[in-house]
Amino acid sequence: MKISSKWITTILLTFLSIALVFVLNPDGQLRILANLLTFAGIYALAAIGLNVHFGLTGLLNFGHASFMGVGAYVTLLLIPHAAGREGEINENGLPFLAALAIGIVAAALFGLLLGLPAMRLRGDYLAIVTIAAAEIFRLLIRDLESITGGVYGIINFSDALQKYRPVFFDEAVARLDLAPAQIWVGLLSWLTVFIVLLLLKRLSASPWGRALRAVREDEDAVRALGKNAVWLKLQSFMLGAGIAGIAGVFLAFNYGSVQTTIFVPLLTFYVWAIMILGGVGSLTGPIFGSIIFWAIISETDKIASLIFENADGQQLAGVRFMLVGLLIMMLMIFRPSGLLGKKEELLLNVK
Amino acid sequence: MSNKLLEVKNLKKTFGGLKAVDIENLSFNKNELTSVIGPNGAGKTTFFDLVSRFQQQDIGEIYFKDKKITKSQPYKVSRLGLIRTFQLTKVFDRMTVLENLMFSGSSIKNDSFFQSIISTSSSKKYEKGLKDKAFEIMKDLNIEKMSESYARELSGGQKKLLELGRSLMKNPELLMLDEPLAGVNPKLAEDLLEKIKNLSDQGITILMVEHNIEAVMKISERVVVLAEGQVIAEGSPQDVRNNNKVIEAYLGTADE
Repeated sequence: MKISSKWITTILLTFLSIALVFVLNPDGQLRILANLLTFAGIYALAAIGLNVHFGLTGLLNFGHASFMGVGAYVTLLLIPHAAGREGEINENGLPFLAALAIGIVAAALFGLLLGLPAMRLRGDYLAIVTIAAAEIFRLLIRDLESITGGVYGIINFSDALQKYRPVFFDEAVARLDLAPAQIWVGLLSWLTVFIVLLLLKRLSASPWGRALRAVREDEDAVRALGKNAVWLKLQSFMLGAGIAGIAGVFLAFNYGSVQTTIFVPLLTFYVWAIMILGGVGSLTGPIFGSIIFWAIISETDKIASLIFENADGQQLAGVRFMLVGLLIMMLMIFRPSGLLGKKEELLLNVK
Repeated sequence: MSNKLLEVKNLKKTFGGLKAVDIENLSFNKNELTSVIGPNGAGKTTFFDLVSRFQQQDIGEIYFKDKKITKSQPYKVSRLGLIRTFQLTKVFDRMTVLENLMFSGSSIKNDSFFQSIISTSSSKKYEKGLKDKAFEIMKDLNIEKMSESYARELSGGQKKLLELGRSLMKNPELLMLDEPLAGVNPKLAEDLLEKIKNLSDQGITILMVEHNIEAVMKISERVVVLAEGQVIAEGSPQDVRNNNKVIEAYLGTADE
């Protein structure tokens, strides 16, 4: 493969972001980096799912958080957990992998359910329906307290995943003075990222991927050629939702508890920012986009505190989003197709 | 079986108060090259949209190969062998010319998700066959040099050729061409016309909407004239040329 300038820029920027962590933090650098990379892996996975929707098929999905949420809630409720205010531990549950599989299927089915009426809509209308559906999902989770724990959320589920942690892994991580539980979640999410990417690489080069790209370009022409465009869109919606479901599960395990406040629209927009930063339609883009995004999110308040000496936490948080906004604006000016997006595919063709 | 490939009965479509299509009875025979002409706003494209199911009629029946397709989805009609093109060319812009053609020819089974994951040797062989067929068609249409170009990089005329090629990948029984010569330079238009004539000679039934009257008269076996949604004349090019109603519709004050 020819190494092009956009790859050099991307890798350079990624290293620069990681270097920023070491420069700006006098101590606990490794711990901060580990935390950052765990979040980056989980969000990269979510962005990869969104890229199936938008990059590959051209579907405007602004309800990504709800797919992540369905995956997380279904999985957590199936493994041993404690839900709600009383927090009684429910010892009975499925093994993690079985619950995860059901969680993925549930997220995909939620995609299907949402898609069935929504797929007849185009562009902005689909976007509005997905935003609304995501909010309905979140409010339902909040109000169905007897099942989902409502605002008190779900706790005490981590063991279902953490008990598979090998001893040598613990020892190795402890030697680096890091938290084994988080590194375990981070490692598994990055592993999943690579497996999903391998699968998608195969799929996007396949006749199925070609059909989705055709849907992205012109649905009417797809219909005129005897292909069921609605079914193709639904399949894409289900695949992307399933991938988002896995990301939701890892996000829950990374937090160690889950509440409705996690799956808010802001989560969806973070994932969108990562996908655009990495490059719409680029398979590996979300990986680099996610690392750079999280480096910025976690380090901007330190940069801000260098600029403004006497600012308090709230003011610094404000500056953080100003810096993030500035970055996205610069990106749109200098690299409108994202870090790894194809220039030929720059034109955003919204369905 | 009758010789009729496509038949419409009592087909009506109105937009608000405007009668777009109002056809009592019209049929198209197998292997015939028919042109539909008429002034702007005569309902030609709406007629195409109704037959290919991209629009829903108010009332009426449509039969293709003696099957009632009045309530079918566009893709179902297409699978029966009725393939249309669009007045404003619809190519897949950010896919290569080759991909445009291969997607079109690919079967439902080959496009399926699971087949694509497994990717067996038989599916690879099928893809190879598609590629060969695509190159054959590209050679025939003289666009094989563009095979790896993105479709959006093509000129207007080349896009028309690509759309025609894409339709041919489907081995259509009835090919409906909506203004195939619009925006095409005279030289290419002549080639395209020749190509369409050849396809008709090969046994494909062709139905074409075209404004270039000279071209229509040259190659059509039958001409149907629409005005204000109604069939005002039909017959051989000679008959239609001498029909008073047609002359009136084109030159009279009613429409243009």
